Amino acid sequence: MSGAGNLIYLDFAATTPLDPQVAERMRDVQANAWFNPSSNHPGGRISTAVIKVAAGQLASLLNVNPATLIWTSGATEADNLAIMGTAKQREHRGKHLLTMRTEHKAVVDVFRALERRGFDVTWLEPEADGHLPIERFRAALREDTQLASIMHVNNETGAIQDIAAIGAVCKQHGVVFHVDGAQAAGKMPFDLTNLPVDLYSLTAHKFYGPKGVGALYVAEGTPLDPLMFGGGQQRRLRPGTLAVDLIAGLGEAAAVAAVSIERDLAHLTALREQLLAGIQNIEGLQINGPEQDGYPGILNVGVNDIEGESLLLALEPLCVATGSACNSQSQEPSYVLRALGRSDQQAQSAIRFSLGRPTTRKDIETAIKLYCRGVEKLRNLAPEAVA
Amino acid sequence: MNNNPYNPAVRDCFGSPDHAGTAAGGIVAFFEDQGMRIRLSANVRNSIITELRFLVWGCPHVIAATETFCRQFEGRPVAELELFETDQIMQDLAVPVEKTGRILVLEDTVRSLRAAIQDRLLSKPD
Repeated sequence: MSGAGNLIYLDFAATTPLDPQVAERMRDVQANAWFNPSSNHPGGRISTAVIKVAAGQLASLLNVNPATLIWTSGATEADNLAIMGTAKQREHRGKHLLTMRTEHKAVVDVFRALERRGFDVTWLEPEADGHLPIERFRAALREDTQLASIMHVNNETGAIQDIAAIGAVCKQHGVVFHVDGAQAAGKMPFDLTNLPVDLYSLTAHKFYGPKGVGALYVAEGTPLDPLMFGGGQQRRLRPGTLAVDLIAGLGEAAAVAAVSIERDLAHLTALREQLLAGIQNIEGLQINGPEQDGYPGILNVGVNDIEGESLLLALEPLCVATGSACNSQSQEPSYVLRALGRSDQQAQSAIRFSLGRPTTRKDIETAIKLYCRGVEKLRNLAPEAVA
Repeated sequence: MNNNPYNPAVRDCFGSPDHAGTAAGGIVAFFEDQGMRIRLSANVRNSIITELRFLVWGCPHVIAATETFCRQFEGRPVAELELFETDQIMQDLAVPVEKTGRILVLEDTVRSLRAAIQDRLLSKPD
């Protein structure tokens, strides 16, 4: 059982629990290294050393120079800094920007804000499985394109974009390439130094670190305008006193991930196969996202003629996400699934199972039982539609 | 978002929809609107609703409201269907105000059922 009380938590794409090793490291830093790292005294130097250790741990996971990392409050801030900072910095060269319809709100809303300021944004459509064909990306480039932002792993479908190929095209055309890696960092192995990526956003709480801290990788030689002012910290790109304990937690989570990623992936792959095998015979079951080559921690499924909100209640005590906008009062269908070509009703009935390190085979058995039972109950309850 | 959008009454009706199904040979009313579908069926004897059943495609509040209606009106005289009030059900189930339109679909279905029963009684008294 991975959760509090009788909850069965299968929403690891939303957030993850603190790894015990991370929690221990944070407690130690809170007790012994709580000083302001900007202070020029022995206490400040203790905290500075903690920050350096964390930077080294994260840099090691990503295979980058620690000096390329900017600490932020999370991926949302990192996305804002990367996109807004680049757009402002290169505005004099051109105002065309590229992104996808299936990006996270933390990216979508920044581009919407830039549109309101006169930038011209091309919103690329994915294939039905969530992938962006490289030729579609290449065809959207223009002389005045300045920035492309494409997420690494989609948070709703688990689709993995070919950031190596997209980045290579960006390099050929002198376009800055930002990747929202909130669902990939600490969960999939990759080597940023050898990827043609200029900016990469991540957050700790998606890989068993604390909430409230993230980072932006800024490749050497990538100019960026700051969004905030008020101090000289972090090369003036992100001023403000560093949250030493949170950053230490992020670093420790990266260190844990570095040794457990392969094991985690094997574990998640087996669980996803078990889950899919248990529900695939449900009539009309549809996989929202890639069937085979996606991130194995996410399985998004929908069934015909089921009301999503009722299904979510029928699944309790499972903690899963729906295909409706769970962060709002509305029951609007997911714009990500709509972009994949799903109807409003299909999107509204979607359930995202996201699995994690603590998930057990027994959790999956229970999830299968509850999902099958819930679908059957609601189908039995539904009257025929009148044509 | 409300942390607990369903009160105990909603959870009870949703978890145990005792009146789910179809009244065999019964009088039927169906309404579809607001993305919801509600089907009520009833058997009547001596102007008393002896059996009331429902089928719903909708959110938990609509399912719970329809089950509540069936629990309240099964066994009562047909004439009392006029007493059905959505305000009371909205209050008892703490239905969010933005779902008012959905609950009104139930009201329309109940009206339609009452009219269908009256038509049947006029044409074929029980």
